[in-house]
Amino acid sequence: MNENIYLPKLAKIIKIKQEVSGSRPIKTFRTQFLESSDFSHRSGQCAMLSVLGKGEAMISISSSPLEKDYLQFSILKSGRVTTALHEMEEGDIIGIRGPYGNHFPIEKWKGKNILFIGGGIGLAPIWSVLQTARAKKADYGKLALIYGARTSNDWVFKEELQELKNEMDIHLSIDCEEEGCNEFVGFVPQNVADKKPSPKNSISITCGPPIMIKFVIEALQELGFKDEQIYTTVENKMKCGIGKCGRCNIGKHYVCKDGPVYSWAELKTLPQEY
Amino acid sequence: MEKILTKKEFPSWIKNLKSFNVYGPVKKDALWEYERIQDPDKLDLNFKNTVLSPKKIIFPQREVILDFNHKKKGKPEIQEALPEETKNVIFGVRPCDARALTLTDKVFEEEPGDKYYLRRRHQTVTVGLTCSDPPSENCFCTSLGGSPHSTEGLDILMTELNHKYYVHSFTDKGRELMKAASDVFKNPSEKDKKDLKQVHKESEKKIKRQVKELSKITDKLKGMFDSPFWDEESMSCLKCGICTYLCPTCHCFDISDEVLSSSPLKGQRVRTWDTCQFPYFTMHSSGHNPRPDKSSRLRQRILHKFSYFVDNYDDYQCTGCGRCISKCPVDIDIIEVLEKVKDYE
Ligand SMILES: Cc1cc2nc3c(=O)[nH]c(=O)nc-3n(C[C@H](O)[C@H](O)[C@H](O)COP(=O)(O)OP(=O)(O)OC[C@H]3O[C@@H](n4cnc5c(N)ncnc54)[C@H](O)[C@@H]3O)c2cc1C
Ligand code: SF4
Ligand code: FES
Repeated sequence: MNENIYLPKLAKIIKIKQEVSGSRPIKTFRTQFLESSDFSHRSGQCAMLSVLGKGEAMISISSSPLEKDYLQFSILKSGRVTTALHEMEEGDIIGIRGPYGNHFPIEKWKGKNILFIGGGIGLAPIWSVLQTARAKKADYGKLALIYGARTSNDWVFKEELQELKNEMDIHLSIDCEEEGCNEFVGFVPQNVADKKPSPKNSISITCGPPIMIKFVIEALQELGFKDEQIYTTVENKMKCGIGKCGRCNIGKHYVCKDGPVYSWAELKTLPQEY
Repeated sequence: MEKILTKKEFPSWIKNLKSFNVYGPVKKDALWEYERIQDPDKLDLNFKNTVLSPKKIIFPQREVILDFNHKKKGKPEIQEALPEETKNVIFGVRPCDARALTLTDKVFEEEPGDKYYLRRRHQTVTVGLTCSDPPSENCFCTSLGGSPHSTEGLDILMTELNHKYYVHSFTDKGRELMKAASDVFKNPSEKDKKDLKQVHKESEKKIKRQVKELSKITDKLKGMFDSPFWDEESMSCLKCGICTYLCPTCHCFDISDEVLSSSPLKGQRVRTWDTCQFPYFTMHSSGHNPRPDKSSRLRQRILHKFSYFVDNYDDYQCTGCGRCISKCPVDIDIIEVLEKVKDYE
């Protein structure tokens, strides 16, 4: 055991993109390790990002493992560390340790339709697996995305979503009516009920605020999705990422190790502590 | 190795441990604490119980894990701040506190292992002391598979027999420590062996408090997550966190950065004990908190110790030291809580 589990590796921010402006800004960061690294992740895993002097924050890796040139993170400005990240510029250096957690069992889904359902920043954890499925399109059935945010300004990956429209069904939504926006008006679970995706030979992945996840799952069940067909990710506050600091548990599970990816069949057996 | 050491000769043994940092119970302002001992004559094993367990020597309340600095132009530098390589020995370890170390071992040893904890643990010799009289009226070690003379987690166990100690080592680390002063130790007589057995037997009988049928309680807890029981039991809790702060088995911690100078940036990443009894422990920056009230936090403390830890590590995460009972300002008593679980409808 020579590795120090708390020691981050240095990485340079090579690209920053402002995804969402306003009072709840989101930026996407692409990073490259300064020294060659054996860091290799699976879709659904996270990494602990460090800003020296500020601390650490656990962030989902939003790039696909197929992308070898950089690691991508999409981050909502919410507190100390995420604010410091938002103040950084291209060329600045951060620390990264990980990857942590389990991953989406995408190999098991070959031949199946995949329905992605996201709300707000919740598209970030899905984005990695979506990109992998898209790159290996021939392996999967129909791919579709239902995604919503408060306003059209709050959608992340706006340009990428426009491009994706040529490749898969994309159903966007906003919470309240907006001039010049013709997308569905209402919450994500309502959009799911409205679009009536078929459960046949399908897997659904849903990420977003806890309350959205709860109602999306109900909407999916209503449509006939079985618990084993529904996947989601859990975000509990994290510090160590390796099951030692004792903070992120739901029941006997440490989300940093045993999660963050769960099928509803599994998650529903755990206490409601997320 | 089993030997006899007179109390008079005890300081001579310690004087021979020149290459060790010696820790032991020290009385400060009427309270006992494990401290570094400079003068061997000051080491007094005639103590009740220490406020904190010797866990604090292996897993300090605050510990620097990384040093960093970042000059304006140039890349940041991060160095690991591993504990110094020293040889430590702790005298007067209570058997329950030693067993507690075997539980924190499980957490920090599990892959990927925690270098900081493991280095301190491996370079520390634990010398236990049989509790001939229970050091606290709330001791209940015997309910949890331990005893006042349990040897788990110890390298050596000393048992007081009037003016002498019966010294028994079980590990290489322990034997090495005794060899450092082999001439002060004598072979035990048959009578000493008989006396030892007697003291050990008596010591168990003196433990007054107990939890009965713990495995039944563990089973019952599995179905009690959503029970109103936790509201009832936590009603008086002040959320002070003392129960977890004093616990020899609690291992939860926080990691944060401390800035020593801002330009050029210089600082330390530190880990500090943290507690599930504080709201910020689980609160997201959005304000959402999966454990928003004292009821859910008392539930976490009990379930972690008597359900989740049992599932994950096949052991209770409690060794019955009684500290959380004695020191809770509102008398929340873990034994009573567990007993009530058993009868809860
Ligand atoms: C598995 C996982 C994946 C995540 N993925 C993303 C992502 O892709 N994009 C994104 O913007 N955010 C993500 N988050 C949330 C992100 O970790 C928090 O927003 C972030 O830690 C807040 O840190 P802060 O220092 O800016 O906020 P502060 O409120 O100042 O944080 C104080 C401390 O609380 C912790 N903390 C606060 N909120 C959370 C939270 N919701 N989850 C975990 N720790 C928290 C931080 O570690 C920090 O040390 C994820 C969280 C988890 C657990
Ligand atoms: S010591 Fe008592 S009052 Fe303080 S947090 Fe624990 S149970 Fe609550
Ligand atoms: S983040 Fe420390 S235990 Fe999960």
